[in-house]
Amino acid sequence: MSDRVKIFLLLLPAMTIIVVLFFGGLGIGLMRSFNYMPVIGLTEPDLSAYVSVFTDREFYLSFLLTFHIAFTSTVISSILAIGAALLLRRSFVGRGIVNFLFQLNLTVPHLVGAIGMLYLFSQSGSFARLAHEFGMIQRPSDFPALVFDPYAIGIILQYVWKEIPFIGVIVLANMQSIGEDYESVARSLGASKWQTFRFVLLPLIFPGVLSASVMVFAFTFGAYEIPAILGANFPAALPVLAYRKYTDVDLAARPEAMAMAIIIALLSAVMIYFYVRYSRRRIRG
Amino acid sequence: MTHVSIKDLTKVYPGATDPSLDRLSLEIPSGELTALLGPSGCGKTTTMKMIAGLLEPTSGDVAFDGRSVLNDKPENRGVVMVFQNYLLFPYMSVADNVGFGLKMRKIPAAEIKRRVGDMLDLVKLPDLGNRKPSALSGGQQQRVALARALIVQPNVLLLDEPLSNLDAHLRFEMRDLIRSLQQDMGITTIFVTHDQEEAVVLADRVALILDGKMKQYDTPDMFYKRPVDEATARFFGGHNFIQGVSDGRMFDSALGRLVLPDGATTGPGKLTFRPENVRIWHNETSGQNTLSATINDIIYLGTQTRLKLLVGETPIEAVVNPNEIERFTTGDSLPIHLPKSTLWVIA
Repeated sequence: MSDRVKIFLLLLPAMTIIVVLFFGGLGIGLMRSFNYMPVIGLTEPDLSAYVSVFTDREFYLSFLLTFHIAFTSTVISSILAIGAALLLRRSFVGRGIVNFLFQLNLTVPHLVGAIGMLYLFSQSGSFARLAHEFGMIQRPSDFPALVFDPYAIGIILQYVWKEIPFIGVIVLANMQSIGEDYESVARSLGASKWQTFRFVLLPLIFPGVLSASVMVFAFTFGAYEIPAILGANFPAALPVLAYRKYTDVDLAARPEAMAMAIIIALLSAVMIYFYVRYSRRRIRG
Repeated sequence: MTHVSIKDLTKVYPGATDPSLDRLSLEIPSGELTALLGPSGCGKTTTMKMIAGLLEPTSGDVAFDGRSVLNDKPENRGVVMVFQNYLLFPYMSVADNVGFGLKMRKIPAAEIKRRVGDMLDLVKLPDLGNRKPSALSGGQQQRVALARALIVQPNVLLLDEPLSNLDAHLRFEMRDLIRSLQQDMGITTIFVTHDQEEAVVLADRVALILDGKMKQYDTPDMFYKRPVDEATARFFGGHNFIQGVSDGRMFDSALGRLVLPDGATTGPGKLTFRPENVRIWHNETSGQNTLSATINDIIYLGTQTRLKLLVGETPIEAVVNPNEIERFTTGDSLPIHLPKSTLWVIA
């Protein structure tokens, strides 16, 4: 058996799953988004689902909110993760324990984290009660709205909490493999600590930061469960909106749900493309 | 022009019991090219990093022109270090790499461009400014690293194993380039190497460091002629060490009584002489320091041939021209001569 055939056969199971499940699902979603659904008698494809999505004001509000959630979470967690990695790569007493604690919440599911957020930060949650107990607020409901709030603070807090170790672990591994010699060179050539970070370390770890943050952005832009649990009812994040349409009692709303899902996928692809292009020029240019 | 004084410089790394560098003292005259020579792990790179301010000494002092620089930040010391693996910033062009130090000093872009151009001419890479470091050969990367260091006009230049990553034919080219740039710019230069040949071809003076301690600080020839001890002599390829007693003029040993040069130490010690200074088939008329030896083994090494000889029961080594190999057969007896000026007694 030639090597080519062998490689083909070895890849076959994985490729089958990708092609059948991913592209299959995408294909069906695409067909439905074009109002092609023979089961309920829709056999003439058209763009009406897209038209109705793009003429709905809620869609734009949801898009802005979702972008705000994804962008803010990604930026804040990337910055804090780089800071954490800078501290964790130094040697100090108890580094092993700190490192362990830092990575601990990687194992906690998003959903569990979100429920924890709810218990802690909602207006009937632990912090609200504590603040009330200590007389900092009159009623627990005076506690600032951090969940179900229009600025999605609860959602962003949850993502930041969860994604810092994810990006941090990647960046830390990256820093450790690069070592400190490049920075030594820069210092001896006259760069200050800040200049060394800005012009040497940051560009060197940039590919790692970029791939980790792109993953975080794509995930936070397309994730359903966290905004569903911690988000305000209106405007809802795009995936929540799409899911609502999908579970609408009116079967005719499904094409709209599918159109929205396709739009979410396209939008995140386009945004990631521009993010990668722009940030590469800024950091390395 | 900067005179560098290193005084009792010591480094004990956290968790280690033995110092990596033990009370090293050196005076490096302004504008000189000095080699720190020693096997890997002997504390050379540690010394360089402490001079550059990249590592804090446990004790001791580093002073430039009489002023301690220990409290100066690395970027303010005027010391530039060129690492062995060059460490060119991979995401920058060659020109940006060379201009890095000037950019950090906020020099106007137009001036940076001009000076980078001049510097690339100086290291003979005039047309490669737009390339990425990965598109250069090892020798070219080395020159870019050198240009990047020299452009900031450092007071002290530190080079880590500057020739060891280069092919044999590039070594001499680079040696000449480093020496001529160093002489023209008059920069006090210190380089570390584990290769005694590299130290000898490049340096005005060599400091040999073994096990964290300085053994000898001298001009290169003195390590061959007047090594301080056996370890030093061995590091420089010495092979012959004969136990005996010196009275300052004569040395008594299993080789018999040999005449010593002036200034030889007295008392029990070891006689040493370089294999290449053993004269074979020599008709020394006075008979002074002439011995009879038997060839025990002949080792052909390409550029030289080593003869393992026995004088009585005592083994010694000699080096002869490889073209002469036909003249020798194992078991031959032959007269050898040890010129008195090439003998040296060590403790």
